Amino acid sequence: MDETVAEYIRRTVLKIPRCQIMEMLTMWEFLSKTQLQTINVHQLKERISQAVVELCEVITSIVNDQIVSNSHNFVFTISGIFSCITGEETDSFNLADFKYKFKRSLRSALKNVTINFREYEDNAIWIRIAWGTQYTKPNQYKATYVVYHSQTPYVFISSLRSSIPLLCQALVHASNYHDIHEMELRSRCIDSLKDIVFKRYSQTFQTYHPRPLQERNVAPEKVDPRIIQENKREKERIQSVNQEIFGEGLQPKIEFAQYKLETMFKGEPEMDILTEKEPFRCVVKFSSPHLLEALKSLAPAGMADAPLSPLLTCIPQKARNYFKIKERKGILSASCLGP
Amino acid sequence: MEKRSSLFHGLPFPTTPVLEPPSCCYSGWRENVDPQKIAFLLRKQWTLYSVTPMYKFSYGNLKEYSRLLSAFVAAEKQKGLAVEVGNDLGIKVTLSTLLGLKGTDQDQVAVLVQIASRSQLPFENAENKVVWSGWFCCISGDDLLESVPEDFTCLSLFLANGAESYTAIVGSWFQKTFDCYFSRLTISPLNLAWMAAMWTGCKVDSHMAATELVFSVPCIPQSLDISYAIHSEDAKALWDTVQKTPGEVTQEEVNLFMDCLYSHFHRHFKIHLSATRLVKVSTSIASAHCDGNIKVLD
Repeated sequence: MDETVAEYIRRTVLKIPRCQIMEMLTMWEFLSKTQLQTINVHQLKERISQAVVELCEVITSIVNDQIVSNSHNFVFTISGIFSCITGEETDSFNLADFKYKFKRSLRSALKNVTINFREYEDNAIWIRIAWGTQYTKPNQYKATYVVYHSQTPYVFISSLRSSIPLLCQALVHASNYHDIHEMELRSRCIDSLKDIVFKRYSQTFQTYHPRPLQERNVAPEKVDPRIIQENKREKERIQSVNQEIFGEGLQPKIEFAQYKLETMFKGEPEMDILTEKEPFRCVVKFSSPHLLEALKSLAPAGMADAPLSPLLTCIPQKARNYFKIKERKGILSASCLGP
Repeated sequence: MEKRSSLFHGLPFPTTPVLEPPSCCYSGWRENVDPQKIAFLLRKQWTLYSVTPMYKFSYGNLKEYSRLLSAFVAAEKQKGLAVEVGNDLGIKVTLSTLLGLKGTDQDQVAVLVQIASRSQLPFENAENKVVWSGWFCCISGDDLLESVPEDFTCLSLFLANGAESYTAIVGSWFQKTFDCYFSRLTISPLNLAWMAAMWTGCKVDSHMAATELVFSVPCIPQSLDISYAIHSEDAKALWDTVQKTPGEVTQEEVNLFMDCLYSHFHRHFKIHLSATRLVKVSTSIASAHCDGNIKVLD
């Protein structure tokens, strides 16, 4: 077995807490029950990992496939961010064909590369690629992960690097698509990206009645008449507008949005400022553990107007969180020009 | 040493020294300063503390203070360690003055404290490497200086760089020896806005980084941070149209500058940045965080 692979397994086992080792090894499914029984978890961890490696020596081919699965089981914080790539399709999908073509395409360009595949129930194919160079072995610790849903024209790639063109070429070739291009959508949470592009979040529809219908026969609340709600109407308006824009359900989880603004500076009319001909260049970045929910709560908190700017609310519909905004002649541009 | 702290209980000692506009401060600093001497101040992150006036601090006794503080630091560091008495940890503390770093002529001269440690490894050069630095300076507050009684030295700002443990040890020695008090200084959004305006207006020869303002949004269930970075030339152009008299900065001008930035932002995003909290300001000159950390780059 490749020594870098052996080393990788050894280090991975060392990282597992002792109490979870047996559980993990069982989940990996490449050591048989009898083999598992031979491992003594009470000895030094180095000895345990060494024992695992020795057992693996026997089953070299299967190990390669399982590396993909173990990295999935480990708090899969895809270090780096997933980027969405989409393409234009042709015919039906053949898994074996895809794998073969992908490997061949990548290997023809780069000799030193480790490729592993793993299929999951929801038609997702996970590909793990460890990159090497002409002279060095593949670096198992900085692998790129690619998730491809064969029934969709979308591919999710982690940790963008310089090897992306090669990767894209291989993907196009293997999947029989004509072309592939990168979308301006990135997030730490791949499920959210899937939610956005597969339109799995609750979408909003234009309501015909701008005001909610009045309920009848509602018992009046027993509220102290001395308490007056200020701006009750305004608050209700904000709530309903927010609901219209964001929808009822939970928003997809993204962590940041970036806007590169190249619009003209225009202050309030009383500010007699800066009538430049040049655009006012700035970059605005929003970041939050759950950005869309945070944006949703701004108007009710009084920190933003309702409706919120379409630049922010269009993120799920347009499936992008990186924008470049330029000035449109005359009117404020709320459109997002291409990358 | 007699305790004099009671003297200060009644005085309205400012907890946040108001930072004066750049003109007098900066030009004063830059003229008298030997660039080599203060080069070490640059590109380091300094944590700010406010210090009450020190009782019976004498500039003439700096050597003596160095000796005492060295012994104190060594003793504190050895606490809890099973080390033979007399074993030298190679720690040396030096106090010196920093000439030229004052706002006005009446201000006290700045004092620098440095902790150097001799390398423990045998094969390395037995050179002393600075592991911690702290310096006291006087922020020109003419009113306060007039009301300070004799025997007191007013070095109200302390900046520390290095391990927090050393800062605590040095701080406690000064507090015990000169009956003063250190407290963490936070920078208010108002002062941060001043810094943003002032630093944006400064001319820098080398490549200018963007003027970046970071806002934190309070009162919502999920935390949200907004970073607003403006191209340095455009930010400077805006400031130049706002500032009326060169060398002088007024509150109205700073407010107008910020309002312009807020309204440009609002036009695009419909969010009122004025309702959020400015927590960090960063330019090619320097950066400052509301927790009381600053970094000077030029």
